[in-house]
Order: sequence, then structure tokens, then C-alpha cells
Amino acid sequence: MGNDRPTADERGAMTAYHTEPPAALAALARQPGADECDICCEAIPGYVCGDLRQFDAAWLEEHTASCGYCRNELTGFRRLDHLLNEYESHRCEAVTAPPFRGRTREVAHYGTMDSPLGVLLIAVTDQGVCEIDFGRNQTLADFQDRMRERGFDLVPDQEAIRPVVEQLSEYFQGTRSTFDVSIDFSGLTPFARDVLQATAAVPFGGLATYSEIARRISNPGASRAVGNALGRNPIPIILPCHRIVPADRSIGNYTGGVDIKVTLLSLEGAVLPAGGRVS
Amino acid sequence: MFWRCGGNGAIGMVEGMSQTALQAAVRPSERTAELDVTSRPLCFDELLARYQNEIFRYSMQLTRNSTDADDLYQETMLKAYRAFDRLGPDSNYRAWLYRIATNTFLSQKRKDKRERPLDPVLDDHLAVTNPDQPASMDARDLLAEVEQFVQRLPEKQRVALILRKYHELDYASIAGTLNSSEEAARANVYEALRKLRTSFGDRL
Repeated sequence: MGNDRPTADERGAMTAYHTEPPAALAALARQPGADECDICCEAIPGYVCGDLRQFDAAWLEEHTASCGYCRNELTGFRRLDHLLNEYESHRCEAVTAPPFRGRTREVAHYGTMDSPLGVLLIAVTDQGVCEIDFGRNQTLADFQDRMRERGFDLVPDQEAIRPVVEQLSEYFQGTRSTFDVSIDFSGLTPFARDVLQATAAVPFGGLATYSEIARRISNPGASRAVGNALGRNPIPIILPCHRIVPADRSIGNYTGGVDIKVTLLSLEGAVLPAGGRVS
Repeated sequence: MFWRCGGNGAIGMVEGMSQTALQAAVRPSERTAELDVTSRPLCFDELLARYQNEIFRYSMQLTRNSTDADDLYQETMLKAYRAFDRLGPDSNYRAWLYRIATNTFLSQKRKDKRERPLDPVLDDHLAVTNPDQPASMDARDLLAEVEQFVQRLPEKQRVALILRKYHELDYASIAGTLNSSEEAARANVYEALRKLRTSFGDRL
């Protein structure tokens, strides 16, 4: 295939590459039993990515000029490359990043309470409750780590969470059906906030399906995304994600453990759909 | 500094891949060039201003829906924000952000095996092309298939392809991102292209 001896230009480039041997593909093709087309096809993806060195690219171009099969392969890869460009321009036109929300560290006051569901870990900011966690699933240290990860400076302060503790206690005693503590939605994505606000509108004792919530936030195709957002609800019980169930009449999942969902729903006297089962 | 074409280095990672031709023919990594254009950002705000859009775009490409993309982007930047002061002056900040985003995405994905919904972006865009023209019909079909085929790629190959194709990261950075050798990073990109090429068969 062509002249293997480097031209003057190539020798110049060789000097630039110091000891890099030129035309590695040509050298491979000269080896006994080597098949030029195999070597060429192996190298085409690299060629299309612009990764081949000058001599190798030249070798490949020379080979494809004289070999119909490899030229065809190369054309295929070029079209694929073109298609990938076109696909991307269809998908993401102008992409502007949303504002970065994590810069400021916020103070969160936290404490614990005993409940029929075990210990609850509760944190509040100036704006309201920002986190309720089930202590049975994690240690206090896990909770602290995660909150710090999320950008909070933690201050233990049982007094700060007292209104929340009181309302939750009343709820567990069956004397409270709505919460009126303020809630800090600031750490949530706009979508998650919409989902949780729609969820909060489902009354005590009531149920809604994931697709109903998706419809209520005017995003009917998003039931799975709704499920994901609910699975990450930072303020369970008060934002009643336990009232959201699948359309197939099963009880569905619950991040804290499905038995908690059952307990909460029976406490509220919610009637599971006929034939409803606890999975 | 130059990448050498040794005969005994194993590419690894990709099955059925003969090392010879590729290893011998590819250019040395262009990492020096990249460092020259990437001066150290003076503060986190500068870093953010410089790279926020491309990192968000990358998040969109990985997650393929805007909710998860926003989560991934915020988490990536939060990690970068916390670690910014600890990064040495010679670090490649851009590659570092891609690395954080990729690791965050892959570890999240491991934890959460569920399928994620897609944004209807693609459908919307594709729907505006005129369906009466057979040619554009074809183009539409092909683009919809790109989506499918790219998603079917093994995660490392998909990530490597996106980084190389759409973000023009050098292979040293892709290798750092995937925790692999540079050869494996290359092999992942090339293998992704080969798989896609095969998927389309003779329609290309």
C-alpha cells in the first residue's frame, strides 16, 4: 500500500514527535498475514473521532480510496457521526444552567421525638420544617452527615422543634388531622415542590394515585417522576406522601418502610381501594 | 509525556477488541494543550460562570430528564463548592467537574435501578418536522433510534461517548472520569461507535 518511506514532510513531523514511529497502521499492514481491511475497519472509529495521527489518517484515507468495502464502512461511520450531531442539536438547543442553590450554608436546629413509629429526627430552619427522618433506619450520625452534606450547619435545639413535636404528637393521638407548621421548601427542585404541595392537598383519610398527582401538577405523563419525588420527600407525615398509592390497588412503596405507610393510613382510617393489598 | 505504542499494553474492558491497530495509531493525549487554555479559576463563582452550562447540559445528557438533571447538577456543584479550596492550583478544573458529575450520576444510578421517565423534549422537537415528507420521516425515525440505541449502550461506553463527542474531553480526562486507563477510555468510545454503527446496519 503506497510508499512506506516517509516524505520530507513526514520526516519533519517525525522530528516533532521525537521517537514516535510514523504510520503505525502501514507498519501493521506490512506484517505477515495482516489484512489491510481489518486494520482499516479497526481504526475507522478513531479516525472519525479525529484521534488518528497524521500518517495513519493518510494511510486510512489512501486505503479507503481504493477499497470499496472500507469506503462504505467509513461512510457509515461518518453518517453515524453526523446523526449524533443532529440528534444532540434536536435534544438540547440552548442549555442554560439553573441557579446553583447550594452556596449558602444555612443553620438548621434539630432534635428528636419518640413516636409510635420509633424515634423521629426533626430539623427546622428559619423558614420552617426542612427534614423529618425515621430514626429506626439510621443513626443520629447518619442524619447529621446527610444534613451537613446538604449544606446545613446543625445546632441541637429541642426547643426550636417543639411546635412540630406537639403537632405530630396530636396527630399520633388522633386529635389532629391537619398541620399548620410552616415548611421550608427551599432545598427542593421546583418539580418536587409542586409534587409535594399537590400531595399536601390530599386530605387526612384520603388517598390519591401517582397519576392523579401528575395530573394535578399539569404534567400527566410524569407519574413515575412523581413517584421518585415522593420517594425523596424530606418531610414525611407532615407532607403526606403516604396517602399516594399506585393505581393498581396495591399499597405501593414507602421510603421509610412500607409498614410505616400502613400504620399511618390505618391511623387516618383511610380506606384502601376494594381488594387493596399490602405488598 | 507522549503516549507510546507498546505492543503489550492491554486495552481491557472491551470484548473482542484487538489492541494492535488502535493502540498503534492513535495520537498522544492532548492533555498539555488543555491545561494551557484552562487557567485556574480565581474563585468558585468564576468556576461556576465558566462551566455551569456545559455541566448542566452534561447532566441532561446523562439523566435525560430535567428534574434529575437539576438534582445531579446541584449535587455536582455542591460537591465542587465544598472541595474547591482543597484543589491544587494545577488541577484541571473542567475535567474535575465532569468527574464529579459522572461519579455522582453512576453511584446514584447504582442505588436506584428504577427506570426514569424521559422528558418529551425529543418528541416535541421531532414532531415539528413535516411528517408528509418521506425524507424527514426517515430522519425522524433515525433520530428516535439514536435515542434508543445510545441508551442501550453499557453505561461506561455511553459516558465515554458523550464526553468525547459532545464535550470534547481529552482521553486522559475521560480516563480519570471513568477511573480507567487511557486506552480503556478510548476503547469505550470506539466500541460505543461500533455498536451504534452495527445497530443501524445498512441504513447508514
